[in-house]
Amino acid sequence: MSERNYTTVNPCIMCQPIGSVMAFKGIEDAMVLLHGSQGCSTYMRLHLAHHFREPVDIGSSSLSEKGAVYGGSENLKKALKNIIIRYDPKVIGVSTTCLAETIGDDIARIIREFREEGVEDERIIIPVPTPSYEDSHNSGYIKAVEAIVKTFTLGDSKKEIFNNKLNVVLSENISPEDIRELKYIFNSVVGNNSYILLPDISETFDAPMTGDLSKIPPGGTTHADIADMKNSAATIGLGITNDNKAVNYLGQTFDIPSQNLPLPIGLEYTDRILAALSNISGTEIPDEFQKERGRLIDTMVDSHKYVYGTKVAIYGDPNNVLGMLSLVLENGMHPILVVASSKSPGFAEQAMERVKQVKPDCDVTILEDVDFDTFNDAIRKAKPQMLIGNSNGKYIAKELNVPLIRFGFPIHDRVGAQRLLTLGYKGAMRMLDRITNTILEVRDTELAAKWSEPESYVPLSENSFHSAEG
Amino acid sequence: MPDITSVISTLDERQPYIALKKAKKGGELACDNTSIAGSMSQRACVYSGARVALNPVTDAIHLVHGPIGCASYTWDIRGSLSSDKETFRTSFSTDMKELDVVFGGEKKLSNCIDELAELYNPPVIFVYSTCIVGIIGDDLQAVCKNATEKIGIPVIPVQSEGFKGTKSDGYKAACNALKELIGTKEPEIKSEYRINILGDYNVAGDVWLVKPLFEKMGIQVITSMTGDATANCISKAHGAQLNLVQCSGSMTYLAKWMEKKFDIPFKKISYFGLEDLSIALRTVAEFFGSEEMMNIAEDIIEQETNRIMPEIREIRTRLEGKTAAIYMGGAAKALTLIKGFRELGMEVVIIGTQTGKRADYKQISYRVKDGTVIVDDANPLELADLLKKQKADLMVAGVKERFLAYKLGVSFCDFNHDRVVEFEGYDGFLNFARELDTSVNSPVWKYIGSRIGDSYSGSKGAEGIKGPSERSERKNETEGERNNMQEINSITLQEESVA
Repeated sequence: MSERNYTTVNPCIMCQPIGSVMAFKGIEDAMVLLHGSQGCSTYMRLHLAHHFREPVDIGSSSLSEKGAVYGGSENLKKALKNIIIRYDPKVIGVSTTCLAETIGDDIARIIREFREEGVEDERIIIPVPTPSYEDSHNSGYIKAVEAIVKTFTLGDSKKEIFNNKLNVVLSENISPEDIRELKYIFNSVVGNNSYILLPDISETFDAPMTGDLSKIPPGGTTHADIADMKNSAATIGLGITNDNKAVNYLGQTFDIPSQNLPLPIGLEYTDRILAALSNISGTEIPDEFQKERGRLIDTMVDSHKYVYGTKVAIYGDPNNVLGMLSLVLENGMHPILVVASSKSPGFAEQAMERVKQVKPDCDVTILEDVDFDTFNDAIRKAKPQMLIGNSNGKYIAKELNVPLIRFGFPIHDRVGAQRLLTLGYKGAMRMLDRITNTILEVRDTELAAKWSEPESYVPLSENSFHSAEG
Repeated sequence: MPDITSVISTLDERQPYIALKKAKKGGELACDNTSIAGSMSQRACVYSGARVALNPVTDAIHLVHGPIGCASYTWDIRGSLSSDKETFRTSFSTDMKELDVVFGGEKKLSNCIDELAELYNPPVIFVYSTCIVGIIGDDLQAVCKNATEKIGIPVIPVQSEGFKGTKSDGYKAACNALKELIGTKEPEIKSEYRINILGDYNVAGDVWLVKPLFEKMGIQVITSMTGDATANCISKAHGAQLNLVQCSGSMTYLAKWMEKKFDIPFKKISYFGLEDLSIALRTVAEFFGSEEMMNIAEDIIEQETNRIMPEIREIRTRLEGKTAAIYMGGAAKALTLIKGFRELGMEVVIIGTQTGKRADYKQISYRVKDGTVIVDDANPLELADLLKKQKADLMVAGVKERFLAYKLGVSFCDFNHDRVVEFEGYDGFLNFARELDTSVNSPVWKYIGSRIGDSYSGSKGAEGIKGPSERSERKNETEGERNNMQEINSITLQEESVA
C-alpha cells in the first residue's frame, strides 16, 4: 500500500472504555457500567467474550436521542439503580464513552446526585472518564486502576498501621493463567497474604465450571486489600513502558517506595522480579525457582539449534511486546520488527535498550502507535519467518505463509487465550516450546516436500527455517 | 396468546416483555421499544444494525467516521464470505481524535475519502456515522455529495449514529444506503425469470447453497443482498421481477421501497429447514406460473430430501425429545428455527428476539406450544433463569449467549456471525442437524457441576454424574398435543401465504 496520511486501516488498538472494563473485572464483587449508547457495552462484551470465552456482563446507560440532547443524567441514574437491583454489586465502575464526553456529562456530579437522592448507601461507585477519542485501551486500563486505588484509599491520608505488605500493580492486561503464575511466584517468595495484587482477573475471567452462573463471578482483588494498599511497605508496578499512575499516586500520597519492573517474560526479566522480591522481602529465593530456572535453561539448550537466527516480528500491547522481545533475544532469535499497538512514553527506548544489551548489532525496526496496514507494509519489507502477536496478525501471516504464534489480546480465533501461560520461568518454557515446535513443524513439511519431489526441488527460500542451523 | 404474568423475577419494568404461551389467556407481549438503562440488554446500537446489514457488500470500502473503537470491534466479525473481492473484511476508520471532536471531523473525513479512492479504487464508499458525529454536527451528506462529484464514484452516507434509535433503525440506514445504488446500472437480462435474494448475508457461504437451486429452476439471481454482493450487482437489482426476503427485520423496508419504486413484488421465505425450503422453491415457481419450473422445483425437493433424509432420520433418533431455547437478533430466523427443530424431533421451550415486532411475536405465539416462554430484548440473568426454569437441553443464539449457556451445562449452537458451516439449503440443514447432534450428545455435559469422587464413588462409576438429559426429565407430550401442534402449524402456514 502506498503512502497513507489520514485513514486508519485495521486498527491495532481498542478504545479507552474497554481498558477500564478489564480493570474493573479484576475487582471483587464489582460491576462496570458504560455511560453511552447501548452498542458500546454490547460490542465490548462480544470482544471480551471472544477472547476469554466467559460470559461478560457490562451495563449500559443506553443513551438515546433524548438523553443526548438533554443530558444523560436520568439514564445513568436509572442504569445504576437497575444494576443495583439485579446484580447487587458492592462496587460499580462508571466509565464514559465518546458520546457521554461529547455531550459534556459530568459523571462524578451525576453519581453525587444519585447518592444525595437517597437511593444509595455504602456501595462504592467509581467514575472514570475514558473518552474513546483519546489514547487507547491501554490508557483506559491505567486510568481505571488509578481511580480504583484513589477511591479505596481515600480518607485519612496518613498511614494507620504499617501492614508490611507489597503492592503489585499491573499496568497492562495479562491472561488469567499469567496472573495465577504471578500469584504462585509472590506466594512462594513474599508469602501468602503478604502482597496485594491489583487487578486480579485470574478467576473472574476464567471462572471454574460449577454448573451454575454467578451474577458476578467470584474472585478479584478484595476491597479490604485495595483499601489497605496505602499501608503497604512497598509497591511494584508491573510494566515499564507506561506511566503507572496508581503506583505514582501511592508513592506521592502515602510515601510508599516503588519500583517498576518489566513483565517477567523470559529468563532475565523473571530473574529481575525474583531478585527484586527477594530484596524487598528480605527472604531467600526458594530453591524451587532455581530448579525451574534450570529447567528453563535446559529448554533453551534443547531449542537453540532450531530457533537461532529465526527472524520474528513481535506486535501487541507495549509491555507484552517488550517482554517477548527479551525472550526472543535471549534465545538467539532475530527480532526484525517490534511493534507496539499504542503510544507509550518508554516503549521505543526500552526496546532499543534491551536489543543493545543482548545483540547490539541486531538490525531491528521499532514502531509504535500504528495500524495493521502500516505494520503489514513493514512486515512485507522485513520478511520475518514467524509472527508473535494477537489474532489480528492472521491475515498477514496467511499472506506471507509464515506461522503465527498467538500471544496477547485479542485472541479470538483459537481456544485457550485465558489459559495462555507466558510469565515466569514456566511461562518462558511453555512459550519457547511452542516457538520451537512450530519451527519443527514447518521444517517437517518443507523436508517432506523436498524428498517427495527431488527433481522439482527448489532450494528453500529465504523465508524458510533451514538456515537456522547454518 | 401469551400470558403476561411474571414468569421469572426480573425488573418490574421488564415483566411485560416476558410471557408464557397459554391457549386461552389473552395479553400481548411488549416489544419494539428502546432498551431499559441498566437492564443489560443483548442488543447493540443503530451503527451495529447498519454495519451487519451493509458490511457484507464485498467490494465496497466501509469507512467508519468516528473514534477508533467502533471500527475495532467490528473488524471482520461478520462471518460473511465473498466469491470475489475481500475489501469488506478490511476495517477503515477516520479515527477521530480530540481535535476532530472540537473542530469538526469533516475535513479529515473528506481527506480519508480522497485517499481511499486513490489507493483502492473502489466502486463505492459507504461512510458510517457514529455517535459523536451526530453530536458535533458534521454534515455527512454534504461531505459525501462533494466527494461523489469530485472522485466520480458513489460515496454514500450511512446515517447510523449509535444513540439515534435501535438496531432496527440501523437496518433502515443500511437500506437507505442501498437505495442510492439500486437502479443506477442497466441489468443484463439472461433469463425471463429473475429474482433477488434479500436478507441473506452469506454467513459461512449460505447463499452458495441456495442460489444454485434457483438457477437449476431456470432463474437468474441478479443479486443477493447483501451477502456476497458487489456494488455492480446491487445497482442492477431493479432488473428482478421478484424479491425474496429472508431476514425480514433488516430487508423488508428495502423490499417495500423496491415494490413501490420499481413495481417488484416481494415474498417472505426462508431457506432453512426442509419444510421452509420447499415452501421457498414452490413459492417462486408458483409466482412465475411456469409448470416446467414447478416440475423442476418438485424434482429438486424430492431428490434433495431423499438424499439427506437417511442421515437426518438417524440424527433425529438422538435428538428426539430434547428441548431447545432460541434467542435471535431477528424474528425471521427465530420463526423458521421452530420448524427446523420440529423436523429434528425437538421442542422449543424458550423463544426470544432482540428486535421482533408485534406481528412477529403473534406469528411466534401461533407456532409454539403452550408453556413456551416468549421474550423480547432479554438480558443474561433472564436468559439464565429461563434456561433453568424451562429445562432447555440446547440453546441456539450468538456469542454473548454461548458462554452463559455453557456455564449452566446447556449445549449450544451458534446461528449468528461465528458460524463456520452453512445452515441454509439442504446441506446446510444437514450441517445444522450434525452440529446439534455434536453438541447435545457430547459426553462433556455429564461432568458439569460434578465433584471429585462423583465418577468413582464406589461401584456406581460414572453413573454418579448426572447429565442435563437426566436433569431435564420431561414427560413426553400426548398424542392430543401433537395433533394440536400440527393444526396450529397449518393455520400459521395459511396465514403466511396470505401475508
